This record gives sequence, C-alpha cells and structure tokens, in this order.
Amino acid sequence: MPNAIELRGVTKRFGTQTAVNRLDLQVPTGSIYGFIGPNGSGKTTTLRMILRIFQPDSGQVIVLGREAGQVADDRLGYLPEERGLYKRMRVRDLLTYYSRLKGHYDCQSDIDDWLRFLQADSWGNKKIEALSKGMAQKIQFVAAVIARPQLVILDEPFSGLDPVNMETLRDAVLRLRERGTTIIFSTHDMDMAEEMCDTIFMIFRGNKVLDGSLEAIQNQYAADLVRVGFANPDETFPEIQGINDCRRIDRYFEFRLADLRQSSRVLQQLAEVRQVVHYEIIRPSLHDIFVRIARPEASPIPELVNSSS
Amino acid sequence: MRKILTIAVREYKAMVATKAFLISVIMMPILMFGSILTVNLVKNVAEIKERKIAILDPDGKIFPILEASANARNEQLKASLKVEEKQPNADEKSPATKPALKSDDGLPSAVKGEYLYLNRLEATESNDELRADLSDKVRSGELYGFVEIPVGLIDLPPAEQKILFYSQDSSISESRAWMTAVVNEFLKYQRLTAAGIDPLLVAKASLPVTVSGMGLVTRSSGGSISEAKEKNPLTDIFLPMGAMMFMFLVIFMASQPMLESVLEEKSQRIAEVLLGSANPFQLMLGKLLGTVGGSMTIFLIYLAGGIFFARNRGLMDNIPMELIPWFFVFQLLGVLFYASLFMAVGASVSQLKEASAMLMPVWMLLMLPIFIWLPIVQDPNGSLARWISLFPPATSTTMVLRLATGVSIPLWELVLGTILLLVSTAVVVVVAGRIFRVGMLWQGKVPRFSELLRWALTG
Repeated sequence: MPNAIELRGVTKRFGTQTAVNRLDLQVPTGSIYGFIGPNGSGKTTTLRMILRIFQPDSGQVIVLGREAGQVADDRLGYLPEERGLYKRMRVRDLLTYYSRLKGHYDCQSDIDDWLRFLQADSWGNKKIEALSKGMAQKIQFVAAVIARPQLVILDEPFSGLDPVNMETLRDAVLRLRERGTTIIFSTHDMDMAEEMCDTIFMIFRGNKVLDGSLEAIQNQYAADLVRVGFANPDETFPEIQGINDCRRIDRYFEFRLADLRQSSRVLQQLAEVRQVVHYEIIRPSLHDIFVRIARPEASPIPELVNSSS
Repeated sequence: MRKILTIAVREYKAMVATKAFLISVIMMPILMFGSILTVNLVKNVAEIKERKIAILDPDGKIFPILEASANARNEQLKASLKVEEKQPNADEKSPATKPALKSDDGLPSAVKGEYLYLNRLEATESNDELRADLSDKVRSGELYGFVEIPVGLIDLPPAEQKILFYSQDSSISESRAWMTAVVNEFLKYQRLTAAGIDPLLVAKASLPVTVSGMGLVTRSSGGSISEAKEKNPLTDIFLPMGAMMFMFLVIFMASQPMLESVLEEKSQRIAEVLLGSANPFQLMLGKLLGTVGGSMTIFLIYLAGGIFFARNRGLMDNIPMELIPWFFVFQLLGVLFYASLFMAVGASVSQLKEASAMLMPVWMLLMLPIFIWLPIVQDPNGSLARWISLFPPATSTTMVLRLATGVSIPLWELVLGTILLLVSTAVVVVVAGRIFRVGMLWQGKVPRFSELLRWALTG
C-alpha cells in the first residue's frame, strides 16, 4: 500500500529563519502517526505544508499520491489546536458548511452519526458560543472528519479535556482508523502518543530527530541508560570513565553511558568505590526521550534515531 | 466555483440573517434623517421667550419707533399663537399665520416666540459705570441686553450713525437683527422725506420681481412634452447629499462586518481550517461576493422603500429613475473597493484596536467627498467635481453626488470614472488578496509597513 504522505528533502524558510530543514518523512496509509516536538520546532509548518496552506521552498510534499500544489485537497481533514469554529453559528449549520466546503454535500446523516457517537445528538441547534470547551472540542473533531477525509490531521485533539471526554474522543480516533483513515496526531501528551500512535515522529529546530515505532525508539534510547542504586546514596563518588551524564532520581542514579558495551566495566568501577545494591538497564519513556532531546541545554541537534519496528 | 459560492452564501447569511442587520437597516434612516426631523420638530415648537432690553436714547426720538414696532410684533406673535392653538394643523397659507412671517408695515418678519419689552433709561449720557451695571444685569438674567443710541442720531452724517447693541449673544441675536431693520427703515423714511421724495412711491418702485428656478422640459418617446416644474433649492442641495450619505453608509455597513469577520477567522484560527479546504483566492472571493450580496440587499431594500414612499407621497418626480443603474454600479464597485481594503487590514492585524490606526487612511479616502460635498453640488460639472470623481477611491460617492443634482454629466466622465474604478478595484482586490493570504496566518505583532508592502508586491 502506498504511503499516505511522503516528504522528500522538504525545506521551508521564513526570511532568514529555516523552519523546516531537508525533511524526509513517510506516513503509511491507515496508520496513526504521532507528531511530537517542542513549540516552535517546525511542527505546525510541516502540517501546513501537508495541508497545502504553505508551499515548500524546496523538496517534494506528496499527499495521498498527489504532489502538493496551490489547490486545497478535499481528502484531508484538519482539527487545529483549540478554536477553529465560528462562535455565532449553530452546530449543524457549521458542520454542513465545513462539509460542503470539502465538496461533501450529502452530509446530514454523517452529522447525525457523529453527533450520536460523541453523545452530542441534542446539540445540533446550539450556537457554538453556548458550548463548553469539551463540547466545542468534540464539534471541532466532527468538523475535521465530516467530509469523510482519507487523511486527518489532529493538532492537540485532547488538550484541556476531562478524562471522560478524552476517552470518548480517543474512541472516535480509533473508529476513524478502523475505517482506514490515516491519522496524523500532533500532541504534547506523551502518554497519549505512546498509547495511540503506531509511529512516532519528532521534529526539533526544523530537523527530524525521531522517526519510528515506539519500541524501536525506546530500544535505541535504552542503549545508553542505566539505573543504579547505592547502599548509601548520599555519599559522593569519584568521576568514572564511560559515563556521559548523571542525574539523581529519588534513591537512584541514572547514568547515560558513552557505550552500553562498557556497561560491565562501569558497574565494576562503581562497585569498586561504592556498594551497588541495584543495577538496571532502563527503557526510557517517550517523555524522557522528548525531554532529553528538547531540554534547553540540548545542543547541537541530536543525531536522528531512525528505526523501523 | 462551488467553494466560492459556498463561502459566499455563508458570508451573506452571516451578514443578513442576523438581528443586528435588521436593527441597522431600521436604524440607518432614523440616524440619517433623524437630525433633520428633530430640527423640524423643534422649529415647530413655540418656545416663548421674553426679552427685556434697556434703551439709552437721550433724544427720545428713536425709542418711540422701536417701542411701537416691538408692540406690533408682540401683538402679531400673540395672534399667531392663538390661531395655532385653535388650529394646530393650520395650513401655512392661512392668513392668520401669515403675519408671523412678514408684517404688512414693511418692517422685518417677527421672530416667533420672542416678546420684546423695551425700557427707556433715565440717564442722559452713557459712561463705563452705567455700561458695567447694565452688563451685570444682563449676566444675572434681569435684562436680555441694552442699547446705546447716540445723541442727534438722525442729524449725524451717515458714516457716524451707529447704534451699539450689548447682549451675551449680540453677534447672532435675532433682536439685534430686528432692531437694525427697524432703525434703518425709519432712517430711510426720514432721509427720503427730507429730500422731498414720497417714501410710498419709492416702496412701490422697489417691489421685487421673482425669477423662478425651473427644471428642464423633457420630450417623451411619443413626442409629448412635459411641463417644467419649479425647482426647490433645498431638494437640489440635500437630495444629492442624502444620496451620497446613503452610499457611504451602505459601504460602511458592508466593510465593517468584513473587517470583523476576517478578524474572527484569524483570531479563532478558523482561517487555518478554511485554507485547508479552499485556496486564499477562493476564500477571499467568496467573502467579497457574500459581502457585496449583503450590501446590495441593503441597497435594494432602501431603493424599494424609497420608491414606495415617493409613490405614496406623490414625489416620484424627485426620484431620478434613469440614474438608478448608475447608482447601482457605483454602489457595487464602491463596496467591492472598500470591503477589499477592510479585508486586507483585517488580515494584517490581530485585534480590532490594532485595525483602527491602519484604517485611518482608508477612512480619509472614504470620507473625502463628505468634506467637499457642497462645492461639488454647487458646481457639479466644475473642475473640482470632475477631478475628484475621477479619483478612484472617491469615484463612487462623488459620481452619485453629481448625478443626484440632476445636472447632466458628460457620458465620457461616467464611463472613464467607471473604468478607472473597475481597474483600481481589480488592483485592490489582487493586492488585498496577497496581504490576506500571508496575513491570515500571521500571528503576533502588527506587520511593519515595509512588510505589508512586500506582501502586497510578492504575496
């Protein structure tokens, strides 16, 4: 099956600033692809190029088998981060408008279906301004998918939702995937990304720094991280060769090694100076990996960990 | 095209299918004609004032004349008020109300609502002390004013015949105007008599002849010639101004919602959703089309209302039906021109208050004809009128102003004005479209003028 999205060497500049730098990306059809990255890293610019709102300065953006041009693609649905709705319109009128704008005219049964699914059957005649944040978020989701798009881009769909609404919307996303829709899902919620995404993509300072399945990424980042417990954690220990970084978490220390193959030697050295009671090679969470890459002192841009599951 | 129409229909509904639209459609004529109506209502309300004026007339030769005239004037006022009480809807031509407009003795018209009570001062000569005392009385409201008549006024050479009238509003005082007329009439009578000329003969010989202002005669296609009608100077002046103001208000009613709509789409991130569904050109064109549709709805509502009103009141002759197509064209282009500018401004800023500064030059352009409407109406084919109406930002309103005067405007000027306006509107739409395309996704600070220029030139 062809990829839903292919970016080949895509660069986008604004004035002298490079927002996206020679980006390559393949999003398989039917997958849920998680886009992560700190604010201002080039995430939204990339999404806008996929949506054909921006044109790349160089490289190719191929979406659903068609190279991006000036014409908006009706096969794409988009949920922007917060807002995106006309406050004074009624729910049904708004959904009808967004659907027609995508060329899907016979949309009333779809509107009923989605409102029912999201337990929002009675909201059709409500004005958007009368909806709570959670309710508006659901309507925004329906607006993004009402025209039966083949590819949906969801920018922070769960932001600010209570657990119940979050669960409902998560089910709606999974429902979309069951229907064969490809979903790009941009989020700062790493737990949600871990739970839902087949593939994770991270962009940092305009460059791709992660791209692969969660397991593969974790394996890559696990390659250098060990957790060590000492009998007396408050005692200091001398500098040990082979440890790049160290941080204390409660009673444990996390050491990033220069090379995991040196793990035994590092353990031996630690055991020589202190009493080691715990030694574990750890798999970092996506949150840890994100923080490690994007923390303020992170410089230069880390090398790409490109893994396939 | 379907996307453009879908956007246009939403914009049209958002503009027209609202309570605010209904209210503004009703309020606009009230605001526009309300002031005129208020003036007329106030004018017809008899406000009775009593003016006490102290007269220093050492000779005592002028005071009796003034007193007699004031008494006559007061009697006339009393009579006219009584008639009005009896006949509140009395016709203006009623003889009973006539004296209020012009007295038969040739003296000036009575000022409705002012009773004059004159009081001759005992003093024989004026001095600063007396003037100061009398001024204090005027300030305290005891007197309305006081007058100094020099000794031997009648015998003085004409250049030295000067009366001083003191009051708080002496420069615009109706009482001073009345007194001027009475004294001059009296002095004229004295001079004619002294010269051995019969004043009545002079009055007869001075009777004026009326030169009536007539409209032009038209010949119908069947060959019959219509009768010329006397022109009303007020209609000639205020009908064009009303037409221009109407056009201005329709442009305003279209442009302001456009600004707010673009700002809402930008600040609420709706633009991102829309631009993912339609390209900027389709979005902009759809919005413009919807707005033009909305403003033309206002235009047609008022046109139909105006014709209905004129037909009921028998004023159809005052409606220049043959000019309505031109009004329509200029209204449409005017809305398109200014709505595009407002749209570009809306796309460049993030908040309404930021838009105010950027809109200042746009407002100046739009209001230009309002500042200079009078000279244009007085000379609709003069150089000023011609060149202003060929300046595209002012073309729509100025051309309508000129057309509404009823004076024939050379066809080449109308055609050239339309072409220039069309071309400029096309340029404005393209430039606004470029600014719109970049500006809609621009967040944060207001762009500098150089940035706007770059957007406008390169998109």
